[in-house]
Amino acid sequence: MASFTPYTYIQCPCHDSAVQGRTADDASPTVSHELDEDDDDHAFDPRAHRSTFSLYPLEYLLYCDVCHQIRCPRCVSEELVTIYCPNCLFEVGSSSLKTEGNRSTNPRAFFAQLQKLRYGEDQSKHVVSGDTSPTKPDSIPDTNKARFAALKSFYGSQTINANPSAGLSGLGDYGLSSPGALTRIMSIYSGNNMNGLKQKNKHAIMREADSTNEGFRLVDLDESSAISQLRRDGWDGTATSAQGKTQVEEGAQFADQLWPIPYLLRTKRSKRCPVCRHIISKPEPKVSNTRWRIRLAANNNAIPTISIKPLNLLPGSGSGSGLLNPLRPAQFLLTFKNPLFDDVKVTLATPATTPGRFASRVTVLCPEFSIDANPDNDMYLDDVLKDGEKERQRQRGDEGIHQAEAGKIWDRGRNWVSIVVEVVPASLRIEPPPALLRKEGDPEQDLSPLREDEDVLEIPMFVRLEWESEASHDQVGAATTRDKDAKEKRELAYWCAIGIGRISQE
Amino acid sequence: MSSNTGPTSLPHRTVSSIRAGAHSTTAPVPPQTPARPITSTFGSPSASSRVDEDPIVIEIGSRKLRLGFAGDVAPKKIVAFSPDQLRRTGDFRVWEPDFASQWRGRASGKPWGADHELWKLDIRHQDLALIGDKLERELRDAFFKYLLVDSRPRKVALVLPPTIPIPLLSSTLDTIFHHFHAPAISLLSSPVMTAFAAGTRSGLIIDLGWHETTVTAVYEYREWFKDAHARAEHKEDRLRDEALSFEECEEVATRMLWCKKSARQPYRRPAEEGLPTVHEHEEEVEEEIPPTEDHSPMVITLNSCKPPKTVEIPFLRLAEPCETTFFDTRLSPSCFDDNELPVHLLAYRALLQLPLDVRAICMSRIIFTGGCSHILGLKGRIFDEVSILAEEKGWDPVRGKGVELYKTNLKLKRGNARQASNGGIPIVVQPDATSSDGEAMEPPVKAADVPQEVDQVEDLIKREQNYKPSVQGLLRAIDSLGPWCGGSLATQMKTPALATIDRDIWVQQGVNGASRPSEVDVKTGQRQSMGPSGLMRGQVTQPNNWTLGVWGTLF
Repeated sequence: MASFTPYTYIQCPCHDSAVQGRTADDASPTVSHELDEDDDDHAFDPRAHRSTFSLYPLEYLLYCDVCHQIRCPRCVSEELVTIYCPNCLFEVGSSSLKTEGNRSTNPRAFFAQLQKLRYGEDQSKHVVSGDTSPTKPDSIPDTNKARFAALKSFYGSQTINANPSAGLSGLGDYGLSSPGALTRIMSIYSGNNMNGLKQKNKHAIMREADSTNEGFRLVDLDESSAISQLRRDGWDGTATSAQGKTQVEEGAQFADQLWPIPYLLRTKRSKRCPVCRHIISKPEPKVSNTRWRIRLAANNNAIPTISIKPLNLLPGSGSGSGLLNPLRPAQFLLTFKNPLFDDVKVTLATPATTPGRFASRVTVLCPEFSIDANPDNDMYLDDVLKDGEKERQRQRGDEGIHQAEAGKIWDRGRNWVSIVVEVVPASLRIEPPPALLRKEGDPEQDLSPLREDEDVLEIPMFVRLEWESEASHDQVGAATTRDKDAKEKRELAYWCAIGIGRISQE
Repeated sequence: MSSNTGPTSLPHRTVSSIRAGAHSTTAPVPPQTPARPITSTFGSPSASSRVDEDPIVIEIGSRKLRLGFAGDVAPKKIVAFSPDQLRRTGDFRVWEPDFASQWRGRASGKPWGADHELWKLDIRHQDLALIGDKLERELRDAFFKYLLVDSRPRKVALVLPPTIPIPLLSSTLDTIFHHFHAPAISLLSSPVMTAFAAGTRSGLIIDLGWHETTVTAVYEYREWFKDAHARAEHKEDRLRDEALSFEECEEVATRMLWCKKSARQPYRRPAEEGLPTVHEHEEEVEEEIPPTEDHSPMVITLNSCKPPKTVEIPFLRLAEPCETTFFDTRLSPSCFDDNELPVHLLAYRALLQLPLDVRAICMSRIIFTGGCSHILGLKGRIFDEVSILAEEKGWDPVRGKGVELYKTNLKLKRGNARQASNGGIPIVVQPDATSSDGEAMEPPVKAADVPQEVDQVEDLIKREQNYKPSVQGLLRAIDSLGPWCGGSLATQMKTPALATIDRDIWVQQGVNGASRPSEVDVKTGQRQSMGPSGLMRGQVTQPNNWTLGVWGTLF
């Protein structure tokens, strides 16, 4: 609880379309959404339950460079590349996935599990014999499977009984030679249902299963043996719910009903943009190779990374505890780093106060600035330039050191800019808060106790990027040279949530 | 009326028709040929093109989600909703070492256990979009991690409890259509699927669920009668008043609870007149120490309270939550509101309200399902209680002092004894003597005792090779593989679902486009039977009027 690392979450724009696709629902969700649209101040509330599902750390996001849009794990379409067992790294064909299921069938993996079970969980009196043959031949997995198969074949036989592939026998003679054929055919096609009525009472009814080899079973209602087992083995003899959840078969109640779990197979997937079908991420198909063939990660291709650190010059930022003192202004440096090879104009917007019960004031001192292009990703060049850069930095930074000024950036580097954000954290007292900090028009005062993470000062921030780049869509990372070709204006706008710090609760 | 073309063209392909064809060589054979093209044109075209793709069967309950491919024995993934799944992506605090001990901070400000369920059936204060989001995340997770499928559109079969409100259904369908691009979703009702997975066509499904216990009578694959009440699992978690985390409470509840046997065993009784016959199995072998008298302490380690401690609860007391939750034997039946009847009373009443024939069928096909049915002894207890009720009260809906007086009055009783028994189970009285004897020798036999006349129609039915007399009239509990397995079976057999919704139509029209089942032709829309004709029929979905099946009836 004491430690807090600042974070940035970015909202994928796809959540909007999801809401708009919801047309004919009940009143409540749509109404609330309309409210959101109208009211600019509350355009995005990172605390709202729903935004949990649309916020992602930057590393999870991809970027389609054809549509020029962020793509989150929710809005890509995936294709299987490789299926493999994470334990033995065997590759599994997709056809055997159908027959053998989603778990590793490699006996080695299974045996390893058995060993783990034998040595790892001694306390649960569970004895597994060394060989892999099940201890009880007719235990749960077998019977369920057998019953299912029996039922299936039973239903299958019933339907075949009822509808034998009789078309064939019927095809033999159409009965066209007989004198009544024409009238019969006429009656069929004219919709005269005399024939149908005649047939109706003869149509066979699917029978119920009534023997064990048809999958039928009576419940054993006498569970006294299980009860006495519960009494005998006590708490430790029962399977924990965590154990029960990880079991392949459902319904283990006692520890001796637990089975070793084969490894779940894993997949490598390539991802496509759902709109233009462009591949935006593709791994190497080999299991042992962890590289990517194509990967248009958002942090390399569009979105500037934001790093946050406190501007420790001011007193009262509570450096000791790492917590923010309520009602004391604190200043933070946000550093935007541009991954693009073009200059980017950034426009920021935040609500004046953070949404939620505890409204902290937020002021972005410099909401508009531009970041220079990322000159090159070359490592050596980077090192060489470092000294000169630092020097420049010092020169430029001179005026900003003492005082953060509104409208001016704090610091600037080769492809980064840092700005100052001033926050006045709200007080976390649950009693009706001071009228000063309270916004007008808040009708209800929610006096319930502090919820999880409600003490984190989280700033919703709208980021708009504007840049000019070459008009070509063809290549992914090759656009290094800045030619004087026709430039294309691009823009990208998104919401993000910036976690600045935890407010101390006194 | 419009249905005439559909069903009538189908029975031609039956066994009987072929045998009939053998007798009178010409008559029934020709209709078969046109029957085939009709099915193929009416059946969904997508089914044929994606034969190799197994549809995905999803059973949605309020706490758990089961997913798997059609034709599988067991679901590939069972998702239990929990608050940890509501975290943002990339929030890895769950793995911090002291995470578990801080549950108090996380749980404060929320109703107890609220995040452990997908939805509540009372939708008044629920954000449907949020439910959609939750569902979407879990489905995506399960699809990609456990089913190992890609994003290609797949057909989906949803197994749903028939009680879920339309907004929830609509939200679910929206989610699946929108995020997973399913070309079509078919809806299956979970009680019907439970019966299907037990191998029966009918049954009394007692679903001991999370929010409520539902008793549904299914007759010939149609839901006949539903009764729901609010007595359910989450009440039983009031195990101890101490501040315990939900997770731990649930763990205790699922691991340790058991259920007493009913105080009085239903005793076997010779089949008397006027009383329903209750066939009990062999008397249970008495245990040396009945568990009901066991006060030996059970040791349970609780980690979520501060400090962690070990409590000792007498074994007997572990059965109490069950007792109070499901039975409430101390109170008289009149104390209960309609929606909080004890389970056994509920089941009994459900049976009582059924028509006679349906009751006879259903009472011998009692199927327990749902999460609470795993509590040791609970099934047996409910069954016993129901049989006791049936034994004591018969199947007469009228009761009270007046009735008892009336029954004990000998004068009146003599004439009416028959009637009373008719209220019960139709027992075909077969005297030992042959039918000719009965008619000839003893003319003054009461009308009811006269052996039944030979019913020509019934004889015909019996002569059918497939016919086996169905068990009826005795209480019997049947084991089912569960609704998911039923859905898996049914989907694999390509049984037409109660309702099938096409993606295009849903996107165009939304939930409002669904016509009420009453407006649509009854035969095709609502009452599609799963007979052999239905199995091969394919979906008869007219694009103009589609329904939500049973789920749309209140709409």
